[in-house]
Amino acid sequence: MALKKATPSAGGPKGSGSGASGGRGWTSTTGKRPSTGDVARGTVLTAGAILVLVPIVWAVLSSLKSPEELAQRPPTLYPHEPTLNNYTEALTAFDFPLYFLNSAIVTIVATLLTLAVNSMAAYALAKYNFRGRDTLFVITLATIMIPLQVIFLPVYQVVASLGLVNSLWGMIIPAAATPTGVFLLRQYMLSLPDELIEAARIDGAGEWRIFARIILPLCRPALAVVAIFSVIWRWNDFLWPLIVAQDESVYTLPVALARFSGQLVVPFHLVLAMSVLSIVPVVIIFLLLQRQIIAGVAQTGLK
Amino acid sequence: MRGHTLLRTGAIATFSAAVLALTACAPGGSDDDPTPGGGAEPGSETIDWEGFEGETLDYVYFTDGPDEAATRDLIGQFEEETGAAVNLQIIPFAELEQTLQARINSGNPPEVARVAQWYPFADSLVDVRTYLGEDYPEEFIAPQAAAGTDPEGRFLAVPNDLTMNGPFVNVDAFEAAGVELPTADDPWTWDQLVEDATAVQEANDMESAIAIDKSGHRVSTVLSQFGTTLLDDDGAALDPEMASAALTELNDLVGSGAILRDFWLEAGSRYAGAHEQFLAEQVPVYLSGNWQVGQFAENASFGWSAVPNACAERCGGFPGGKFLTAFSGSENPELAVAFVDWMNRTEQQVAMAEAAYWIPTRADLAEAEINYPDRVEDMAAFRADVEVTPEDAFAANAHPAFGAAATLVVEEVSAMFAGQQDPAATVEAIENGVAEAAELVQP
Amino acid sequence: MSNRQASTAGAAPASSPRRAAPKQRPRWRSVKWAPYLFVLPNMALFGAFTIYPALNAFNLSLYSSSDGRRFTYVGTGNYSQILSSEEFWSVARATVIFVVATVVLTTVAATALAIALNAQRRGKGLLRAAYFVPFLVSPVVVGLIWRLALERQNGLVNTVLDAIGLGQPGWLLEPRLTLGVIVLVGLWIQLGFYTLIISAGLQGIDSSVYEAATMDGATWWQQLRSITLPLLLPTMLVVIVLSTIHAFQAFDYIYTLSGGGPLGATTLIVQYIYETSFQSPIQFGLAAAATVILFLVVFSATLINYMAGRRREAV
Repeated sequence: MALKKATPSAGGPKGSGSGASGGRGWTSTTGKRPSTGDVARGTVLTAGAILVLVPIVWAVLSSLKSPEELAQRPPTLYPHEPTLNNYTEALTAFDFPLYFLNSAIVTIVATLLTLAVNSMAAYALAKYNFRGRDTLFVITLATIMIPLQVIFLPVYQVVASLGLVNSLWGMIIPAAATPTGVFLLRQYMLSLPDELIEAARIDGAGEWRIFARIILPLCRPALAVVAIFSVIWRWNDFLWPLIVAQDESVYTLPVALARFSGQLVVPFHLVLAMSVLSIVPVVIIFLLLQRQIIAGVAQTGLK
Repeated sequence: MRGHTLLRTGAIATFSAAVLALTACAPGGSDDDPTPGGGAEPGSETIDWEGFEGETLDYVYFTDGPDEAATRDLIGQFEEETGAAVNLQIIPFAELEQTLQARINSGNPPEVARVAQWYPFADSLVDVRTYLGEDYPEEFIAPQAAAGTDPEGRFLAVPNDLTMNGPFVNVDAFEAAGVELPTADDPWTWDQLVEDATAVQEANDMESAIAIDKSGHRVSTVLSQFGTTLLDDDGAALDPEMASAALTELNDLVGSGAILRDFWLEAGSRYAGAHEQFLAEQVPVYLSGNWQVGQFAENASFGWSAVPNACAERCGGFPGGKFLTAFSGSENPELAVAFVDWMNRTEQQVAMAEAAYWIPTRADLAEAEINYPDRVEDMAAFRADVEVTPEDAFAANAHPAFGAAATLVVEEVSAMFAGQQDPAATVEAIENGVAEAAELVQP
Repeated sequence: MSNRQASTAGAAPASSPRRAAPKQRPRWRSVKWAPYLFVLPNMALFGAFTIYPALNAFNLSLYSSSDGRRFTYVGTGNYSQILSSEEFWSVARATVIFVVATVVLTTVAATALAIALNAQRRGKGLLRAAYFVPFLVSPVVVGLIWRLALERQNGLVNTVLDAIGLGQPGWLLEPRLTLGVIVLVGLWIQLGFYTLIISAGLQGIDSSVYEAATMDGATWWQQLRSITLPLLLPTMLVVIVLSTIHAFQAFDYIYTLSGGGPLGATTLIVQYIYETSFQSPIQFGLAAAATVILFLVVFSATLINYMAGRRREAV
């Protein structure tokens, strides 16, 4: 992402109207009335958004249907007799608060760890010139390409030999060094001006301080993207937490939810209800972080 | 500058050394040469029932619903009696294999696991005869005891419950159509089954006539009724003519719409149960098995019942079952065997059967009456079919290659239903595939 | 880290020509060591939890094993078995088609959407959030929802299509159609995320450039072609590289959606490896060999992508 110095669009076209964060329209319209182009675009975007949301909305509505109604063929569009039974059944069937807490702990700690470790590595790969830098970068890229499903047996052996099985740390640590995060952050950091760093060095700042006080704050948009990615992935992660966990006390939400899936019976109504419940926290986090990305860039600039 | 060159050379050297070292030696963690069963003599050890106070046992389990509560009850009783603590670790069935493999490979297997297939772990299991005596297998019905025994005679997996495949019918629909149900004395022939099912379907305007789970066990049921099985004690055993008759029957049913083709193709290689169609009252006859009884008792809003299997060349269904296994590498194998023994005693098997609509595997319960809370006649129909099911069906299910064979059969039959190959070619493909699979498991 | 080294290196000489630095230390030492220290935690984790197991897997590919505990050396036997297996090649073909289609569609759609959203004045945040919601759902559940929706006779989609007279296509029954379906569902899942990345890149383009172009009389299409797209190229490269890699790894939602069917038409490489490892007959060595092949292919693809981008001085 080759970022140039961003200037707030104060003198720009009157595009930045209602509450939308700093929109810079680059059409040549400067009038106040929306043009047909704008209306068309708005309509298309909204229609697209509705289409995209239809399956989700249907899933939420279906979670309010009783198992009999869910089994109906052809399926009903909306629940004729909406019921919250699925939710109560799922919530009382197991220790929901415990699993929610475990999921929350794993997600938050893992995301913080990921952000810390990835940003440090990205900084080194982007802003330093050292022997082995390119090799390390290539290795970083290479490690994305090995999906967990195919190496989890040896990974489990490593984790077991470190004594991390059956613990939340065993879920948090192994995958914290996400190559995707390093890649994204490095890309972003490449575009930060080197002069910033040089100037800071001349002023006598230590390397760590340059990183922590100057570079990191500038990376807020990229950090937000990596954070969103990590939060969603960790919150929904199923296979690894399942394998690492043995006792129910360390189950996360998706793992606990999957307990209902026996050999021959998948209680779809419970799955739906719990899935809907799991989406809510992530949506909230996304809405919070979304502003970071958009607002963050407007604040960059050489001091 | 020196620091860098050193670091780089060092890194490269270490990396190459690691690669070389790893490729030079065989992969895998444990040094011990795993002997199945631990290599001890039957009856050479005894269980010290007083000595379990304060010890823990990990029990890896998967649940189909009603059995969980019953299991927890029994566990509570075990804990009281022995003073040991049992960790019930419930995982989804689909991940059972991976979880156990991971834990065994890294040296921390659970004490006990409930499994459907035990051959993949054979080398890590305890021969329970070591603690429970050479005659222990005789406490269970012969075919299932044989299913838990390896070729050397070690009793590595104790049969915990027996499943039997068989048909369910929508009684209300049959009544509405004026068609009579088969009875144990007057079971269906295949032709009668098709005729009746089609009549009821049309009278009630249902989607199709017969629903059948997408599973190798179900296809094996049909194969068995037409006179043949995939495997027997000596290996591949498919009779091409009989198999061809069976598959042609199924193919014709799909072709005429009596069986939904979509259902078989849309699920890819995943298992799919056709119970949804039955519960939605869109099909009058559903070929499944006794584990559905509990589910239907809860969720079906119409009158239904289990009926005897249809007969072609022969009658009966096809068995399945779960086993309890004790792991030799676990922290407490003695406690593990004690638990396995205890859970399979008469009283306990009766308790589980009554709560979860299971069929017990103990020889002394084979004829006994079980007080199922409900649906007694349906369970009776399944248990009656256990008597009628031919021996080679049990042998097929017990064969180590059955899992691979079942997957293969589903693949080939799906291709047949899709019109990619005719029944004769399908039979040939199955024959070859099963022969290969059988060879792979001969050590 | 480097500050500690700095303070032990000695006090600042009194006659420093620069402004009095609070800590003066041999600059060469701290700057030169810093990158290694920054990179260390990440690489240590990589090394232990990804590289070492991967090497293990590579090693395993030279053996045959059905339980992960007993091994028989077979050298290149596994490789020749895979490379001569028809099933593998049909899986490889399906995977490549899937990856190319996904990457192209994702990049184009995300770019278009990001540009459109950027130009939108009202409700940007809400729209962006709407497109992002699918990404929040667990992939397994995504597969379940779409499987129900796309059933030929009883799915929601066909019920609607039938009502408006368009018939009932077999979305999950025709091999090519199913492949299309999994590409589109994959797009549905990821679009919001990649749009976010490109949006972040868009924000960095100076609006004064546009103003100047507008004053010179350039239409929006010309501006798009000559200003926006070229400046977006590095970001688009990121999207291409990431979506390629993630496409090669696609498994969860596909497995619950189509099960790899019909008849293996949508069985991609990760499912192939997974089934070889955990469905009878279990063959860990074979699966490991397939993993090595997957790795080599993806690695080359990524390198090529990256070099091509580099040549354009995009990075």
